[in-house]
Amino acid sequence: MKPIIEVRNVKKCYGKEQGLECETEVLKGISLQIERGSFVSIMGPSGSGKTTLLDIMGALLRPTSGEVLIDGVKLSSLDDNGLARIRGKKIGFVFQQYNLIASLTATENVELPMRIMGMGKENARRRAVSLLRSVGLGHRLENRPSQLSGGEQQRVAIARALANEPEIILGDEPTGNLDTKTGESILGILKKLNKNKGYTIVLVTHDPRIAGYSDKVIKIRDGRIISG
Amino acid sequence: MMLDFAFKSIMRQKSRAILTTLGILIGIAAVVALGSIAEGIDSAVQSGLELSAGKITVIEKDSGFFGFFGELTDEDIESIRSVSGIKDMVPVLIYVENIQPFQGPENQVIGIEPGKGEYFLGENIKYEEGRGIEDGESGVAVIGSAIARKYNLAVGDFWTVKNEDFEIVGILEETGIQDIDKSIIVPFDDLRDALDTDTFQMIYVVPEDVKDTEAIAEEIEDANENLDALTTKELARQAGRLVEQIRGFNFAIGAVAAFVGGLGVMNTMIMSVLERRREIGVMKAIGATNRKILSQILAESALISLIGGVGGVVLGIGGALVLSGMFAGVTPVVTPSLALTGLAFALFLGLAGGYYPARKAAKLDPVEALRYE
Repeated sequence: MKPIIEVRNVKKCYGKEQGLECETEVLKGISLQIERGSFVSIMGPSGSGKTTLLDIMGALLRPTSGEVLIDGVKLSSLDDNGLARIRGKKIGFVFQQYNLIASLTATENVELPMRIMGMGKENARRRAVSLLRSVGLGHRLENRPSQLSGGEQQRVAIARALANEPEIILGDEPTGNLDTKTGESILGILKKLNKNKGYTIVLVTHDPRIAGYSDKVIKIRDGRIISG
Repeated sequence: MMLDFAFKSIMRQKSRAILTTLGILIGIAAVVALGSIAEGIDSAVQSGLELSAGKITVIEKDSGFFGFFGELTDEDIESIRSVSGIKDMVPVLIYVENIQPFQGPENQVIGIEPGKGEYFLGENIKYEEGRGIEDGESGVAVIGSAIARKYNLAVGDFWTVKNEDFEIVGILEETGIQDIDKSIIVPFDDLRDALDTDTFQMIYVVPEDVKDTEAIAEEIEDANENLDALTTKELARQAGRLVEQIRGFNFAIGAVAAFVGGLGVMNTMIMSVLERRREIGVMKAIGATNRKILSQILAESALISLIGGVGGVVLGIGGALVLSGMFAGVTPVVTPSLALTGLAFALFLGLAGGYYPARKAAKLDPVEALRYE
């Protein structure tokens, strides 16, 4: 079976786009494959390039050289709108800072990706409510992010990531702002999604506990894969 | 475009949104109020012109057009007697009573020779009650419908001008022309005595042959250079010029309003985009294309402006009513096209003011925006 994410010799330089010499080479030739339905952790110290790698796999950032394929589609062949559509359909993001929209309620935050993809308000709302219930927030539907705890906000963010039924969930330190117990419950939810629903999950972290939930751990340092 | 989300975004900074809306509102209100006055003057002029068809209106040179006339004397009548082809000359004395601040004159008393009221009222005038003033009558009055209603007067009642009583013998049917509906017509000599004056405001000159109207008017001006002899054509030209001037003034106000209101919207949207960089990054991460972001921010600025536009049209109509008092005899007219122009203008301001910030937002780099602190 072909991998759902394939990274081929990806390099990322900052400065080079402006026609300058490569000032900082963040990724120095990364190749990896992520199998459909797997749970993969990418670990490394800060500055190792792991977040840049995640951004590139998430079609948020273009590599300086090399190629990324999502479900067989070469990202280099797409324009900015094409990348946006891939993000909207194939990928759900979960961030360390939750990144919910402060003026919207939990339900509206989850509706947002569906509305962006053109779904009607009623259908989007129905699905948002059911997703929030599935992450245990049935009692918090009309609360705004500021009225929710960190763990609750991250659960809203997971529900939002699932809104358009993506195949991949990418998490950037999703437990980074949470206490141990809450962090574990978030990981539990992600693990369940992976095991029961078949979502492919890729997390970037330096939290060693995550390794225990993963099928595969990729270690990266100074822009290179050192194991995995 | 998600209008419900756009509205929520605006409401997050309520006072800022209200202030921006006010900027648009005031501009649009000015456009609508002044526009309705221009329309009102236009329609007053049209009905006034119908009345003056076929005769020449003589007034003091360069004296005003609406409500404020110069003064003429019997010598002025004598000076144009030499002009040939004149059938009739009728002096008219206008006495304006009770000028109210912001409401204009409450009523105007017109002194005109008995039996010649139709020169002022037009040929087709009808009486709701009673009759006109007949040749040789004195001490009687005919009143407009608005006067009758306002003071609850009937035939047989009296109207008093400076201690002179006039018995009301006729009440006119409503014409919709304020100059007539708000008038009290009395015999010329009676009003002159009551006011103890030698002067009057205008002379109606009726040519023997309507074809000669323009030529006679020229001759009158040649005979007495202190006079303006206005024909329907000349009146139409003058009035047209006035209406055009008012429209031009309106346009200038509109342009200033556009500039200020549009800058307000732009400023608000730039601030809003800066504050929401991270959210814009999130929207991009969850699938929003540049176009989607652009249209969403434009929807917000259009919404702010349209709310201001609707308020502006409403306030403009109110403002027009207040302003109308300052122009005697003009009822402001808010045509649907004027209201729509106001709204379209507001929408234009919103889109023009919102475009730059919306483009900026659309072009944000998603990664930078997401990590923005």
